[in-house]
Amino acid sequence: MIELDGVTKIYKGEVLALYNISFAVAKGDFVFLVGPSGSGKSTMLKLLHRQEKADHGKIWVAGREIGSLPKSKVPRLRRIVGCIFQDYKLLPNKTVLENVAFALEVTGSHRSEVAEKVHPLLELVGLSRKTHSYPNELSGGEQQRVSIARAFVNRPPILLADEPTGNLDPETSLGIMRILSQINKRGTTIVMATHDRGLVDNARRRVLRLDKGKMVQDQAQGQYH
Amino acid sequence: MVFSPGYLFRETRNNLRWNITLVLATVVAVWVSLTLFGASLIIRQGVQQATQRWQGGIEFIVFMNADATPDQMASLETSLRDNPEVDGWDFFNKEAAFNEFVEAFSDQPELIDSVTKEDLPPSFRVRPAIGDADAIQSLAESFENYPGVRQITLPLGVIRTLQESTQQISVFVLILSVVVLVAALMLIANTIRTAIFARRQDIEVMKLVGASNWYIRLPFMTEGVVQGLLGGLLAVPMLFLMNRLLAGFVQEDFLQLLRSLVLESSSVWGISFLVMGIGAGMGALASLFAAGRFLDV
Repeated sequence: MIELDGVTKIYKGEVLALYNISFAVAKGDFVFLVGPSGSGKSTMLKLLHRQEKADHGKIWVAGREIGSLPKSKVPRLRRIVGCIFQDYKLLPNKTVLENVAFALEVTGSHRSEVAEKVHPLLELVGLSRKTHSYPNELSGGEQQRVSIARAFVNRPPILLADEPTGNLDPETSLGIMRILSQINKRGTTIVMATHDRGLVDNARRRVLRLDKGKMVQDQAQGQYH
Repeated sequence: MVFSPGYLFRETRNNLRWNITLVLATVVAVWVSLTLFGASLIIRQGVQQATQRWQGGIEFIVFMNADATPDQMASLETSLRDNPEVDGWDFFNKEAAFNEFVEAFSDQPELIDSVTKEDLPPSFRVRPAIGDADAIQSLAESFENYPGVRQITLPLGVIRTLQESTQQISVFVLILSVVVLVAALMLIANTIRTAIFARRQDIEVMKLVGASNWYIRLPFMTEGVVQGLLGGLLAVPMLFLMNRLLAGFVQEDFLQLLRSLVLESSSVWGISFLVMGIGAGMGALASLFAAGRFLDV
């Protein structure tokens, strides 16, 4: 589903963010990306989402080499690669429903289709009672669940999560993790960058460890450390 | 890519509303510039129309007295035939003169009513065999003292003077309009830039969830087009007003000849549509530039 071959990323020609990274993620896998701040986790996710471009090496996502993808095809890539963030990136002037529907609307879905798809998803993330609330009326965990719903509403085969529990307490984090596991069970490949030792240790999933831009560990049922 | 028209309308309306003061300033700039531009076109077209009506080719007219004798006319005809500088001529008797008069002033029936066939002088429309304006002038003047000749009319000079002075005015107005037009273009681009800045959060999210570039761009484009079109629309009544004022001005008796400077309303409509088109085009151009420069999609 995802494959990297000798990927190097250098910011502004001098800051080495990633160096010679190669790995592959099979369809339906759940992979943790761990490492200290500045180790290159976020850069890695940005490369997979084509928010950044690799300087060397090749990246395949869902069978396509995305380094040579023309700019006009990037939106298509992003519809098959959902993304969630530590700071949720919700639109403050839209309700929960509108925030999720937004992702469908901007990809050209019809309104009838939107309602049909959004409600079951809000149920999945446990927010069906808060559809008309605004983000500032929600807790951090609830906001993150909205952002998961938004990322998943297009049913992307791949979901990237950049420290989704970074701002949340352990219990809420566990809830988020549960939702991600459910989504994973439905066949979506998930790559999650995290600092959350507890989550990683409990999950017994594959762990990729980055340090100063280099891959230092790739363990099948890994531990945080 | 499916676009819901509702989405486009909503986004455009919200953008315009959010930025209302800047939008108004922009619309006014477009309005003023397009009014000036349209004005220069009205002047130009008026002169062209007047020139066509008067000139009908470079020829001069030898008007006989209304009571000129057949002998006098025959003698003039002989001189015309013998003059190598004359290519040919048409003789207009009173009847022909009246018919032409009726045709030329068909839009001013009150003028036609005030004239009878007997008032109009017979005339020779002379086509010179030479092209030089000064030579034509001296040729025309050589017929001045023939018996029975009332007046020689050489439209060339009048037309030339009128053309030159109106040319200057219309070029001046045109330059002025282009300057304001450029300012208006920059204003539109800046308005769009501000709108893009105000919505950068939405735009970022749109990009992250895979909205197509045109989906993000289009509302800003329509915003620019709406501003340009609005300015153009506002310019239309100004153009009609101007043509009207011009008509009122030349209504004065001593300027009767200048009446053909005033355009038919169909011509003003033509200019109006052009002006609206340019307004919309300006909006599209400026917002395309702004979106390309500041949207980074």
